[in-house]
Amino acid sequence: MADPQDNRPGEEEDEEEEIDDSSYKTIKDAVLFAIDVSPTMLERPPLSDDKKADRDSPTTAALKCAYQLMQQRIISNPNDMMGILLFGTEKTDLKEGDSTFQHCYLLSDLDVPSAQDVKRLRDLVENEDEAEELLKPTKDGASIATVLFCANQIFTTKAPNFSSRRLFLVTDNDHPAKAKHDKDTAITRARDLYDLGCTIDLFPISRTDHGFDRSKFYDDLVYPSSPSDPDAPVTVTTATKIAKSGDGITLLKQLLSSINSKAAPRRALFSLPLEIGPGMRIGVKGYILIKRQEHVKSCYVWVGGEKAQIVTSSTSHMADDTARIVEKTELRKAYKFGGDTITFTPEEFVQIRQCFGEPIIRILGFKPVSLLPLWANTNKATFIYPSETDFIGSTRVFSALQQKLIKSKKMALAWFIARRNAAPVIVAVISGEEKLDDNGEQTMPPGLWLVPLPFADDIRQCPEQIDHLRTTEELTDVMRKVVEQLQLPKGVYDPEKYPNPDLQWFYRILQAMALEEEVPDMADDKTLPKYKQIDKRVAPFLEDFGQDFDAEYKLQVRNQPSMSLPTGRKRPAASANEETDSKPAKRAKVKKEVKAEDGDEDEGGMTDQQMAEVNNKGNISKQVVATLKDFLKARGLPTTGKKVDLVGRVQEYLEEKGL
Amino acid sequence: MAQKEATVFVLDLGKSMGEKGHGRDKTNLDWVMEYVWDKITTTVATGRKTAMMSVVGFRTDETELHGFMDEIEGYSNITVLSGLKQFLLPDIRELQQQVAPSSTNQGDLLSALAVAVQIIDTGTQGKNGKPLKFDRRIIVVTDGRGHMDTGDLDAIASKITDDDARIELVVLGVDFDDPDYGYKEEDKSDRKQQNEATLQDFVEKCDGSFATLAVAIDQLEIPRIKDTRPTPSYKGTLTLGDAQKYEGTLTIDVERYPCTMIAKPPTASSFVVRSDLGGAPGPSTQSTATLAGDSIQDGQLSAVRNQRVYQVENPDEPGIKSNVEPDELERGYEYGRTAVHIAESDLNIVKLETEQCLELIGFVPEDKFERYLPLSRSNYIVPQKTNKQAQLALSSFIHALFEAGSYAVARLVTKDLKPPVMVLLVPRIEPDFEALIDVELPFEEDMRRYRFPPLDKKLTVSGKIITEHKDLPNTDLMSAMSAYVDALDLSTFGRDDDGEPTEYMKFDETYSPLLHRVNHVIRWRATNPLAATLPEPPKILTKYSMPPPDLVAQTAPHLSALKAAADVKKVPPKQKGRGKRSLRDREKPLSGLDVGELLGNPKRVKIELGNLIPSFKQALAATDDLEAIQAAADAMASAIRSLIAESVGESAYGRALEAIRVMRDEITELEEPEMYNKFARELKADLLGGKMKGDRREMWWRIRGSRYGLIDRKRSFASGVTEEEAAEFYKG
Repeated sequence: MADPQDNRPGEEEDEEEEIDDSSYKTIKDAVLFAIDVSPTMLERPPLSDDKKADRDSPTTAALKCAYQLMQQRIISNPNDMMGILLFGTEKTDLKEGDSTFQHCYLLSDLDVPSAQDVKRLRDLVENEDEAEELLKPTKDGASIATVLFCANQIFTTKAPNFSSRRLFLVTDNDHPAKAKHDKDTAITRARDLYDLGCTIDLFPISRTDHGFDRSKFYDDLVYPSSPSDPDAPVTVTTATKIAKSGDGITLLKQLLSSINSKAAPRRALFSLPLEIGPGMRIGVKGYILIKRQEHVKSCYVWVGGEKAQIVTSSTSHMADDTARIVEKTELRKAYKFGGDTITFTPEEFVQIRQCFGEPIIRILGFKPVSLLPLWANTNKATFIYPSETDFIGSTRVFSALQQKLIKSKKMALAWFIARRNAAPVIVAVISGEEKLDDNGEQTMPPGLWLVPLPFADDIRQCPEQIDHLRTTEELTDVMRKVVEQLQLPKGVYDPEKYPNPDLQWFYRILQAMALEEEVPDMADDKTLPKYKQIDKRVAPFLEDFGQDFDAEYKLQVRNQPSMSLPTGRKRPAASANEETDSKPAKRAKVKKEVKAEDGDEDEGGMTDQQMAEVNNKGNISKQVVATLKDFLKARGLPTTGKKVDLVGRVQEYLEEKGL
Repeated sequence: MAQKEATVFVLDLGKSMGEKGHGRDKTNLDWVMEYVWDKITTTVATGRKTAMMSVVGFRTDETELHGFMDEIEGYSNITVLSGLKQFLLPDIRELQQQVAPSSTNQGDLLSALAVAVQIIDTGTQGKNGKPLKFDRRIIVVTDGRGHMDTGDLDAIASKITDDDARIELVVLGVDFDDPDYGYKEEDKSDRKQQNEATLQDFVEKCDGSFATLAVAIDQLEIPRIKDTRPTPSYKGTLTLGDAQKYEGTLTIDVERYPCTMIAKPPTASSFVVRSDLGGAPGPSTQSTATLAGDSIQDGQLSAVRNQRVYQVENPDEPGIKSNVEPDELERGYEYGRTAVHIAESDLNIVKLETEQCLELIGFVPEDKFERYLPLSRSNYIVPQKTNKQAQLALSSFIHALFEAGSYAVARLVTKDLKPPVMVLLVPRIEPDFEALIDVELPFEEDMRRYRFPPLDKKLTVSGKIITEHKDLPNTDLMSAMSAYVDALDLSTFGRDDDGEPTEYMKFDETYSPLLHRVNHVIRWRATNPLAATLPEPPKILTKYSMPPPDLVAQTAPHLSALKAAADVKKVPPKQKGRGKRSLRDREKPLSGLDVGELLGNPKRVKIELGNLIPSFKQALAATDDLEAIQAAADAMASAIRSLIAESVGESAYGRALEAIRVMRDEITELEEPEMYNKFARELKADLLGGKMKGDRREMWWRIRGSRYGLIDRKRSFASGVTEEEAAEFYKG
């Protein structure tokens, strides 16, 4: 469903939008899962006592993957489409009464998934009887050519003009052709799909007695690049390993991992020259690998009909003075200034933003990575990887740079303009090493990262710390034991271990409501600390710390000179100062105002005593508003309202204090 | 709230200010005003009502005190150009008219100063005559060549230094001697010499600042950084363990403040030129003429309001939409394409129940932490204000982390019912403060698992590892890169105040280019409404867009060695001339199979409606013959037209749009733009003319919105369509 509002003459655009990842997001993706239903695909692994052993037939595992992917995509790509096509089934059903495509069964049509689609899939995965009914293989076997042409039709009609259309093909048959003719037709149909701009992603499954050999058939069907990202190197999914009972890596897990790595179509955020020195450029592409996933914003639904329906909205512009409808071309951008507006012509606006030159990543020099403190973080990092499109030899130069930065623990500083109109930023270019999991599958790709750095304007001051107590070596040592006792597994923070509890909860509830099922009442929150473990590991040290802390605290408080007041003003009556510990300290709080330009500081106002005296003499209403406000503010009371209110509030306060 | 401000500018408008001194290309007055306008526009830009300004001119032709002084005697040739008030754009315009060198040199600076003091006095006192809390400032700019009556100096000085209403005095002189700045004017007149001495002496008495103007002008270049009052985003506890259930736990009262926060440039809003001003009297006679020239005068723009229309799709007739009333709308969410309606009272049901907290989960060694993981700006976590116990406890925690070389991972909920985030806590110990720094860490869902091939080796399809390949650096390239990286070192390239090597390009030396650029041109335009070309951005903003030139020169040999070892070749832009593509040149499947040959390299491919796009592409690829191409294009065109004409509602528009896109791209590549342009023109006419079985304007909106209009010269050199014509095509 192409969003009809995308291209309307006046989409909402109140303010000059910073084009960030938005353009990245609007590129839509359609995935059609094609799952082979054949006797071998339906064969279950031999029963085993091992709990971790495979139980699923390849087809079931693929359906489970599809089920999980569908739920995941509702969260991560809410506007993207997904469909599931079974092939080789006895039944033929393509919804709209079409039976051209023999032995193809469209389990869920290519569309943005609905709650019903999720339910249907879940039932199929969880209910064996229903599954058995449907998952009956035909005797003849399915023709891959038919499947490919079927996918062609589905993509053409259901996902027109999508920039990314992908066919996920799950099969264990590495040579699905009886005669040469069958293969040739399949090759032609694969070519059609390629010309249509669709990608075939093959997820091959190896059988116990038969490894999957891509070169027999599928290497003639699959193309090395994807039309949506023609230049990016494709990583070919390797065939699943044969799961031996008990080795812990089930077929399902392997398949999930391969599919997850393709869950979102890989698309470059930008393609830019990386200037290593004057006159020396290579080509790189940028990708977003880390990005905060938010849940969908609430929207309007129309409740006037039988079922609640999603509402689309479009905006038109109206002149405020005459209520006349305004065309977008009439709109002018202007800055508010001094109660009026400052305008520039559209050409000037372009000049203002683009006066810093062409989009580029230009290296300015190198520094040790140690000069990149964590406090200097301002936003997420962007991943870059070399591209040979514009400069031949980019990959080897990039590789040399990446390896050098790793080896010498250095970073580059670079001037970075991501695209025309983007604000220039300074980034640290740091290296990222390839990381593999226990199965040798990549968990982090090798490349470089652009970490945006703050400008002087972006750095805030830490609130002042005057006369703060400081730790002692002894105290630090006790605490250090706590730190050392409570390391995370392997000493790393692994995002995999922490699903976003809020996001998960949100979609669980939403799913339950959409299917009109019971709403769960307890969330599964993996981010909660493991209290029991903490208690076991560090409680004794914390108790030690508590004792040492008390002793040290008493010592320090006794020795600390009484609060030194700022000079230049008489100290108020001593009695007022010694009332409680917190009072003079509170005074310090008021003082931390934004620095007045001339350095003329104000000292927090009168003490309770002084104010009480003034009040007793009946002079309180002679105080200026500023004095009253200071007094109130220092005591955490509101400072709004007229002078009468302020005086009232001060008197109330004094009364409460019994003064 | 920032402190209230009252600033009086005392401007020397004497005849001598019209001169151009010491080879400058602008008059002394223009030079001085560069400084003054900058100060004024900066204040106006804050939009603060409590930042008031006033302007007093002396050595003016006229005398006008607007009743600020009881008597005029002794105050001749002094003009109060503007009383103390918040300045707005019209005030700037008005002042611009008034600021010009006079035809006299009569008028006393010190008398003008007395007027300025009086203006501040009356403007900053309460009803009972007592001075209010204000930042008071007087800024005097002069060339120091007028006559000064020094009789009242002490009286004025005592007024300025009055403790209850202190005034900060700044005197800036054109070509004044300034040993600190290293400037001495040769051939100075005796009077100026004497005046300078008098003024300097006086300013010292008033505890003010005295400088030559050039200093102030120089400093204008340095962007001003806005001070922001820190506001806490979390006030609560930092805990380790569950104090409710266990004995040995840790709880520290802390607060969280921003450490970095991107300062955004001001944003422009949408306006529309007021339509009711057409025949109105006043300035419009002149400005309607200039309107055509795309410059708009103040006050002629009207705000724009957005009006929303809500639509739903009719479930029985796909592709048909109907409008719905806003009062039939309620809140909900989309779950896939299913609408989930949630009553206003139930909205909390989707929220995870959380309680405010900052709970430690565990620790990680700093050298194992991947620096690219954090995805947010940073914050300070400091002890609760005035809480001594928290100070001591947090201090020991910070130091323990520091000494153990560890970071902490914690779960943060800033307020009850807010979603939890994982944060990394990093110790930061500076001479004047200690804090934990927090940055947000990604969750599982925030990671995109794209895979990329390794960079230091190649894997063949069969799984063999190759170490020598054109994509892998050889040892020459590796060592050249290593030498270059080491040579272009910035960590000691800078020089500190004592000339000692220091880090080049520290964070606090870089200024946000766009932020200051936008502010700069807004202020500039405020005082130069009619200037034709925008000024260049100040140099300080582009300083770090290039590597330092000195270092580039130094490292040139390393760079050329690197270039030689790298042997990078730019891919030449596409060859001009008719795209000669054949099936053979096209992309091959992984096996390298020649699909064209398999099909017997057909000369003509028929366009099939059921396989439209692939057959169109294949038809074009199969031939070089112009006629055949034209035939394919015609077949495509008629297929597109029938898609649109037969479409139920908007249902086939997407397919039609895709076909149009493919046709446009392919024809562009074949460099026969007219084939497409002819089709596009006819299609537009028919769509808007209602000749495609019904109202098909929506289809035109989509073509327009997707920018699938005419192929212009910029896109294809063979096109006869100019960029203007192409832009014009989208209108209507």
